[in-house]
Amino acid sequence: MEIEGQATVKESQPPKFALPVDSEHKATEFRLFSVAAPHMRAFHLSWVSFFACFVSSFAAPPLLPIIRDNLNLTASDIGNAGIASVSGAVFARVAMGTACDLFGPRLASASLILLTAPAVYFTSIASSSTSFLLVRFFTGFSLATFVSTQFWMSSMFSAPVVGTANGVAGGWGNLGGGATQLIMPLVFGLIRDIGAIKFTAWRIAFFIPALFQTLSAFALLIFGKDLPDGNFRRLHKAGDKTKDKFSNVFYHGITNYRGWILALSYGYCFGVELTIDNIVAEYFYDRFDLKLHTAGMIAASFGLANIVSRPGGGMISDAVGKRFGMRGRLWALWVVQTLGGVFCIILGRVGSLGASIVVMIVFSLFCQAACGLTFGVVPFVSRRSLGLISGMTGGGGNVGAVLTQLIFFKGSKYSKETGIMLMGIMIIFCTLPICFIYFPQWGGMFCGPSSTKIATEEDYYLSEWNSEEKEKGLHLSSLKFADNSRSERGRKKDSETRPVDETPSTQV
Amino acid sequence: MAARALLLASLVLSCFLFPCHGTVLLSSLQRTLEVTASPTSGQVLKGGVDKITVTWGLNQTLAAGTDSTYKTIKVKLCYAPISQVDRGWRKTVDDLKKDRTCQNDIVARPYSPAKSTAQSEWTVERDVPTATYFIRAYAYDADEKEVAYGQTTDAQKTTNLFQVQAISGRHATMDICSICFSVFSVVSLFGFFYNEKRKAKRSQ
Repeated sequence: MEIEGQATVKESQPPKFALPVDSEHKATEFRLFSVAAPHMRAFHLSWVSFFACFVSSFAAPPLLPIIRDNLNLTASDIGNAGIASVSGAVFARVAMGTACDLFGPRLASASLILLTAPAVYFTSIASSSTSFLLVRFFTGFSLATFVSTQFWMSSMFSAPVVGTANGVAGGWGNLGGGATQLIMPLVFGLIRDIGAIKFTAWRIAFFIPALFQTLSAFALLIFGKDLPDGNFRRLHKAGDKTKDKFSNVFYHGITNYRGWILALSYGYCFGVELTIDNIVAEYFYDRFDLKLHTAGMIAASFGLANIVSRPGGGMISDAVGKRFGMRGRLWALWVVQTLGGVFCIILGRVGSLGASIVVMIVFSLFCQAACGLTFGVVPFVSRRSLGLISGMTGGGGNVGAVLTQLIFFKGSKYSKETGIMLMGIMIIFCTLPICFIYFPQWGGMFCGPSSTKIATEEDYYLSEWNSEEKEKGLHLSSLKFADNSRSERGRKKDSETRPVDETPSTQV
Repeated sequence: MAARALLLASLVLSCFLFPCHGTVLLSSLQRTLEVTASPTSGQVLKGGVDKITVTWGLNQTLAAGTDSTYKTIKVKLCYAPISQVDRGWRKTVDDLKKDRTCQNDIVARPYSPAKSTAQSEWTVERDVPTATYFIRAYAYDADEKEVAYGQTTDAQKTTNLFQVQAISGRHATMDICSICFSVFSVVSLFGFFYNEKRKAKRSQ
C-alpha cells in the first residue's frame, strides 16, 4: 500500500523501502524474520536492547541466596532493594517519553542504557546492603527503555500493525525478566566450576549482563534510525523535521485525561507483572515447600510467557481495531485485563501445586496480553506528545508495582496468598476507568463517535497545535498521522472514506 | 508470619499426634555429646584463614550403652539467634529435615564406643558468611537418622558464641575492570554524540 505523491515533506527523490509504507513512510506490514532497514532493523535493535535492560534489572533475584550471605542482607534489605529496583523507572519513564519527543528514541535510549551500565558493573563490587540497594535502584532506571521501544515502534509502524509491533517489542523485552532467572544461575555455575569461589563467582557473573547492555547500546547507535527518513538531528538540520518545545509537549501530554487513565490501568497489568516477578519464586518455595531452583523455574515461566502473551495482546488489538476500530480496542483491553484480575483472585485461593501452576500461567497470559492491548491504544492518544503519554503510561506501570508491593507484600500483614487475592480485586477496580476513555472521532466503550463539530481525526490531533504553530507548519506530521489513523473507525465506517483494502495488512 | 507460625505449630503438633516415620525432632533428641571448640566467646575468626579445633565425645557421666546406636558423628557450624533475625532462610524448625540452623558442615567421622572422644581441626571455609555462630554435633545411627546431639552453647543459644568475618569475594582486578568498563561506557556515549554532531554539520 504505497502512497507517494501525497507527501508534503520536500524530497529530492522518493526513498525506497523494503516494506510497504504509508504517507509518513511507516511500514504497514510487520515481517518478523526480516532485518530490513529501517523498520524491521529498528524493531530488532529495540527489543534486544530492552531485553538486555530487563536481564540486568532482574539479574540479582536468582542469585540472592549467594548475595544475601556475601553482603549479610536481611529479608527487609532484600525487600527494599526489590522495591527500589522498580521505583527508579517511575520518573525515568516519564522523562524518557519527553526525551524521545525532543531528541528521538535512538539517542534517548542509547544514552540511558550507557549511563546505567555503570550501575550493573558496580554491582560486582557491592559490599553492603546500602550499596546493593543503590545499584539495584540505578540499574532499574534502564527499564525506562520500554518507553523508547514503544515510541520507536509507533514511529516506524502504521496504525494497522502498530499494536503488533509494540506488543512483540515489549513482550520480547519483558522476556528478559524470565530469561535472567535461567541465565544468571547458569553463568554463575560455569564460573564457579572454572574455579572461582561462590562469593567471587556471582560478582564475575554480573559482567555478562553489563557487557550485553553496553554492546546493545552501541548497536543501537550504529545501526538504528529514529524515523524511516533518518535521524532527528539530521532531519532537524535539514529542515525536514521540526524541533518542538518541552513545555508544549509537556502541557499537551499531562492535560490529556486519557493518558492518566491508561497510566492507572497499566499499573494493574504491567505493575502486577513486575510484582509477581519479585514475589512468586518465594511464594511457591514457601507455600509448597519446593526446592529453590524448582521455585525459580516456575517463576521464570511466568516471565517467559511474554514470548507469546504480550505480542498476542498487540495482535488482538490490531485485529479488533481493524474490524471494530478504537471502540473494539478499548473493549478488548477492558475484558482481558478484568479477566486477568479474576484469575489473580483464583490464584490466591487455590491450594494445590498443580492447580496453582496452571492458574498462574493462565493469569500470566491475560495479564501480559493486557499490557500489549494497552499499547495498542496509547499511540492514538496524542501525536504531539506521543513520547510523554507513552512515558506516563509506562511510569504508571511501575507506580502500580511499587504500590502493590508496599500495600500487600511488605512485612507480614497479609500472607502471600491473601495478598495475591487482594491484588486481583484491586486489578478489577483499577481497570474500570477504561470505560471513561472517549475519543470524539471514534467513540468510547459505551458511546459512539461525536456528532458535534470536533469529530474528525484531523480535529482531534490538530487541537494540540495553536494557530500560530499551524501557520509555521509545525503541525504537518500530525496531519499525516490523522489521515493514517482513519482506520480506527472500524471496517464498516472506514469503507465510506477510502476504498476497501483487499490485501491483508498484518503479516508476521 | 502468622501463617508460617501456624504451619510450623501444626507440623510440630501433628508429629506428636501420629507416628512420624523419618521425621526427627530436635526436641526429641537427648543431649549426650560434649562438644568444645577453640574459639572463645566473642572471638572473631577470618574466613579462609583462621582455624577451629573441635573436640567431641560422649558425656562420661551417662550410663554405659547410651551410645550403642551411634555410628557417625557430624559436626556443623550453626547460626546463633542474632544471625537468624529477619532471615527466614536460616530459620530454626524442630523438624530436623526442615531445620535451616546448621548450614555449614565442619567434619564427619565414624564413631566407635571404644574411642568415644575425637578432635578435628578445620579451616573456616571461604564461603562461610559473616555471622555469629556456635557448633553442634549430631550423632547418627546406621539408618542415617539423628539420635543424639551436643553443642558448644546452652539450650537458649546465648553463651559462648563466636563470629566469623567472611571474605568479601572482591579482587583488585575486578574493581579495576568495573571502573574501567563504566568509564568506557560513559565516554563512548559522548564520543558518539560528538560524531553525530560532526556528521550533521557535514551534511548541511
